[in-house]
Amino acid sequence: MEKVQLPEGMRDLVLDECRNKRWLQNKIETIFDSYGYQEIMSPTIEYYATYANAYENIVEEDKYKFFDQNGRILMLRSDMTVPIARVCSTKFKDTKPPYRFRYTSNVYKVRQKFRGKQSEVTDCGIECIGLDHSNLEVLLCAIDVLESLNCPYTLEIGNVNFFKKASSYFNLSSEKLSDLINRKSMVELKEFLIQNNVSQKAYEFFMKLPFLSGDASVLDEALELSFNDEIEAVVLSLKHLHQMLEKMGVSQHISYDLGKVPHYKYYTGIIFEGYVSGIGTSILNGGRYDSLLDKFGYDLPACGFSVKLDSLIDVIHLEPQKKMVVYFPISKQVEAYMKAKELRKEYQCVECRIYDENIITVKEEMR
Amino acid sequence: MSISIALTKGRLEKQTVSMLEQCGYGVEALKNKGRALVFPDSVYDISYFLVKSNDCITYVEHGVADIGVVGKDTLIEGGQDYYELLDLEIGKCKFIVASLPENEIFNKVGHIKIGTKYPTVAKNYFLSKGMDVEIIKIDGSVELAPILGLCDGIVDIMETGTTLKENGLVVLDTVCDISARVIVNKASYKLKRKEIMKVITDLERMVKENASNNC
Repeated sequence: MEKVQLPEGMRDLVLDECRNKRWLQNKIETIFDSYGYQEIMSPTIEYYATYANAYENIVEEDKYKFFDQNGRILMLRSDMTVPIARVCSTKFKDTKPPYRFRYTSNVYKVRQKFRGKQSEVTDCGIECIGLDHSNLEVLLCAIDVLESLNCPYTLEIGNVNFFKKASSYFNLSSEKLSDLINRKSMVELKEFLIQNNVSQKAYEFFMKLPFLSGDASVLDEALELSFNDEIEAVVLSLKHLHQMLEKMGVSQHISYDLGKVPHYKYYTGIIFEGYVSGIGTSILNGGRYDSLLDKFGYDLPACGFSVKLDSLIDVIHLEPQKKMVVYFPISKQVEAYMKAKELRKEYQCVECRIYDENIITVKEEMR
Repeated sequence: MSISIALTKGRLEKQTVSMLEQCGYGVEALKNKGRALVFPDSVYDISYFLVKSNDCITYVEHGVADIGVVGKDTLIEGGQDYYELLDLEIGKCKFIVASLPENEIFNKVGHIKIGTKYPTVAKNYFLSKGMDVEIIKIDGSVELAPILGLCDGIVDIMETGTTLKENGLVVLDTVCDISARVIVNKASYKLKRKEIMKVITDLERMVKENASNNC
């Protein structure tokens, strides 16, 4: 069986799939490049300890792990942000920040069996390191990427501090609560709040939080719910951000969700996701993670995002390509290939093919 | 924008369809279904399809269906990549732990074996009690397993408790309550928020009405 089988979660890409993916990659990389982001390539294999250091609650089961010659645990990288934080804090200590890095790399996560998910995907992204005020730049870059896809999209922005400040005010900070709110799991959320005997004020606040999503008007709603200066400041900063995007004329496809709180210990500020119509999952993810670099001994703020190239392959529709075909009898091989060489100066693709006739003919065909 | 709703076949189907009907949705096609697999709504721009409970999650996670109605029992065993917005409060039952009266599984010294159709539910329940038990996956008539001595106890769904009683099993604890839930694909929620929230608020109103009628 193993002779023909692929390991679980792996996929082959062929022909047009590859063409679409490369086209997309080039397009996005060109945008990143135009913002001054420079490429980083890092090894596919990292120490497990590198990731365990970066994430407080690393999910052990979804990493591909193995051992090196000394018995240390290795893993296939599960994202590019951690390797870039490591590279930045070791290789760039002597150059002055800010740093603008981009990457296109395959990352690996063990996915649940038989659910149609891929375990190896290509992330194409940027990290802007060492700037406190990089939110706007990073978001603009994300908007440019989404615009370039030529299909309807939404870029949804949140800020984990809205949840963080509120939950710490009520002494309710926990992974469990953030997870329930992030999954908008209303039934369990209600149970959790009742079980924890929270005050009426807290109950109402957290039951509303998952629905604080929609266009910019939810920010006004959020402002009304803000019960202290700290929380208000978070909403006001989002409002300010929205004003800037409006001024630049790129706010049409922006929405907000204050109930977006994944990995709330990792992210430290804004967080955003891009969705395009026809795809059931987010295709662009990013946010601010000001405490990550410090874990590698280089305390710098950072913000970035990545695009999942593989999930976008299906929405790309490229024009079919043309090619020139040189048909030749086997006796005229040399002439045919010389002809083809000549034609390649003018045409992108020239293919040679043997046939039964006695003369060389050139035809235009579809690829 | 048009939306699609995946309904779970069987136990929940009738009740869900009648709730939609009460809300004024055009579900005639769902009530007189021949061999069709996709049913258009005669009032709104909605299409329905009937699927098995596990598939309901899969369809919603992939965004093939924007909304799904499925039992909590299936959700606990399945994935987590969706929003769970509403409890329809229909198809109510419980996950319970049961055993023969003489098998004291909570006080047993030594290895404990639990038979169940729902390994994740069983594993998480016993872990929350600080117990590490061996789970044996059984696909039907789980009550049989402890009687034949395959395992010490079972974790299963209980509606009335008659089957358990008839087989001489006693309920030791409730794991959690189960009912039908409305789940929503994350991307659909962002891209078709208005259409989806209409369905959710309509159904929510009906849940409240049903609850007050029962009081």
